[in-house]
Amino acid sequence: MKRAFSLFLSLTKNWLRSKSGVFFSILFPIMLLLIFSTVFGGQEAAEYTLHVQNDDLVDGNETELSEEFIEALDSSESLNVKEVDNITEDRQDRSFGSYRALRIEEGFHEQAKNKSIELRMKVIQNTTQYMDEQGEEINLDDFTAESAEIVLMLSEDDQAGPMVKGTVYGVINSFNSRMLGLEEGDTTVDITEESHKERGLHPVDYYLPGFIAAFIMSNGIIGVTSNISEYKRNGVLKRLTATPLKKRDWILANVGQQTVLAFGLTAVMILVAVLIFDAQAYPGPYAIGLIFMGAVAFCSVGIVLGGLIKDVEAASGAGNAIAFPMMFLSGAFIPIETMPDYLQTVARFLPLYYFHQGLREIMILQNPSEALLAYLIIGIFAMIFIVLAIKTTRWKDI
Amino acid sequence: MSRNIIEVNDLTKKYDELVAVDSISFDVKEGEIFSLVGPNGAGKTTTVEILECLRKPTSGNARVLGHDVKNEDEKIKKKIGVMPQDFNTFERLTAEENIKLMGDLYGSDNVKEIMRKVGVDKFKNKKFDDLSGGMKTKVGIGMTLISNADLLFLDEPTTGLDPHARRETWNLIKDLKKMGKTVFLTTHYMEEVEYLSDRAGILINGKIEVIDSIENLIEEHGGGIKVKVLEDGEAVDIINDRADEVLRGEDTWTGIFDNKKEARQALIKLFQLDAKVEVEEAGMDEVFLRLTGGKIDEGGELV
Repeated sequence: MKRAFSLFLSLTKNWLRSKSGVFFSILFPIMLLLIFSTVFGGQEAAEYTLHVQNDDLVDGNETELSEEFIEALDSSESLNVKEVDNITEDRQDRSFGSYRALRIEEGFHEQAKNKSIELRMKVIQNTTQYMDEQGEEINLDDFTAESAEIVLMLSEDDQAGPMVKGTVYGVINSFNSRMLGLEEGDTTVDITEESHKERGLHPVDYYLPGFIAAFIMSNGIIGVTSNISEYKRNGVLKRLTATPLKKRDWILANVGQQTVLAFGLTAVMILVAVLIFDAQAYPGPYAIGLIFMGAVAFCSVGIVLGGLIKDVEAASGAGNAIAFPMMFLSGAFIPIETMPDYLQTVARFLPLYYFHQGLREIMILQNPSEALLAYLIIGIFAMIFIVLAIKTTRWKDI
Repeated sequence: MSRNIIEVNDLTKKYDELVAVDSISFDVKEGEIFSLVGPNGAGKTTTVEILECLRKPTSGNARVLGHDVKNEDEKIKKKIGVMPQDFNTFERLTAEENIKLMGDLYGSDNVKEIMRKVGVDKFKNKKFDDLSGGMKTKVGIGMTLISNADLLFLDEPTTGLDPHARRETWNLIKDLKKMGKTVFLTTHYMEEVEYLSDRAGILINGKIEVIDSIENLIEEHGGGIKVKVLEDGEAVDIINDRADEVLRGEDTWTGIFDNKKEARQALIKLFQLDAKVEVEEAGMDEVFLRLTGGKIDEGGELV
């Protein structure tokens, strides 16, 4: 054990003095946490630009209703209306970026007014019919009118398209209601908004366990794999195998170093998240236990890969090829509910999914009993890979 | 009579179809500096790594300090000090930290003493990566010595060093012998073999061509003594009469004597004449050339 401890200290010192190692293992995860928590955790809603071409003019002036409609669009929180003379020409001046446009067709005012009359009459007719059924007899002549036209133009690859579309439809509904003479509050169904922020959770509380888990995984799979293949290439491993150091000491020292790194990373990330974003993370013994098992599991994967692959570049590539898809597919950064069904199934086969879900249940939701499956899966994963690490690490004929 | 500290019998190592070491047998005696010399790819490192328990032999056997290399790895590794070929260590640790790590692995704590002995104390706080080639070799020897082992394996310790650093390393290796250590050295520098070794084995294509003391190797395979006469007259007659072969230069006559006694008698006569002569004794370069028909260049290749 003394040999393993001494090697652990040397590995740790050697790593701490590597600027790139410290950057990618500690500082880079913190930077990502700051970016994600800032970008997706802002209080203000996003605002999307909508270019509007109003073709409903009389003597060069906008008609009353089309002007009102544009004002209604502009008053929406998520739309920033920019009126343009010609959408097609305006679009050509822009080289990139999503262009969202809406054209109000000629005759909008007249058609809207006539349609509103038709609808009001239908309401009256509906009302008289209702009265007729009740025994009263009332007749009204038919009246029909065309609806006013607007054309909404969105790009299929515009990710904010659905958001803009929803907002425009909301404005149209509201406009229709007003055209029928309804005032604000004249509704048959009322909606009351309630926030379920009983715990005062913020977006950072979702990202924090995800980032901790993802970077413990990447430090193990990418970092350890690269380090071991590099030690093999530059002869350091051979130097060590020529001493009384045993294979188990080598594995213990590496696992120990990764465990300390995992705890260090967790502590720093929680500190940053609490101080800057008021995160609600409470790391307790259950979290420490799961972090330890995760560090052992993913470090063991790194030892296996580093032991099996001779070429440094190939080992590093293999680590990246495993770690990066796992990061994104497991839902560590994005909730898996937003993914297609088949990807959600894939996520549930990834150990990282259980690792970050378990950490979230323990650290954020204070619900360790919900993390039992995570303990079980990460524990089994760790045991399998520690056995494989022992089997695949060569101490002779390196 | 010193005891055998290494005994190698019929040792063979194959990598698939390639025979790296081909049925070699030799022994190394306690307290000597033994060199295994040969060009790149001759099988030196494979041989030494089998003795260090870093590789498994395909057949044959070898005993180091009385232990079998096949199944007594742990006992052997505790008793030997090793400086592998292209020695490297943790690059961001200081010279002292690297030696201390080795001390911990061997259960030895005389770090300061070792640093002083090999001259590392002057740059002990410098990171390994920032050291020159000569300094790195000193750290390597320090890391080998901290084992407190009596048997040290140095695999091409001076390869790539400048002449000054190489000379310093030679002096260090000489000091190891004075400390009572047995040194197993592999090298492709003939000058190094001659300067340092008590005995040497020449390894070509996995086979040992010859093995003996340096003195005997030169005596038997060095091609004799060269006596160069720098003036015409009676001195040239002496060379022509007694030498086994005479090479004629522009104004010189070089007599090659296979027999040392004959050379000595010729020299006595030449000195009596007060003739201007230069004597050149054969070295390991000559031995290697005569045995293999080639030379080893600076990079270790057979030419």
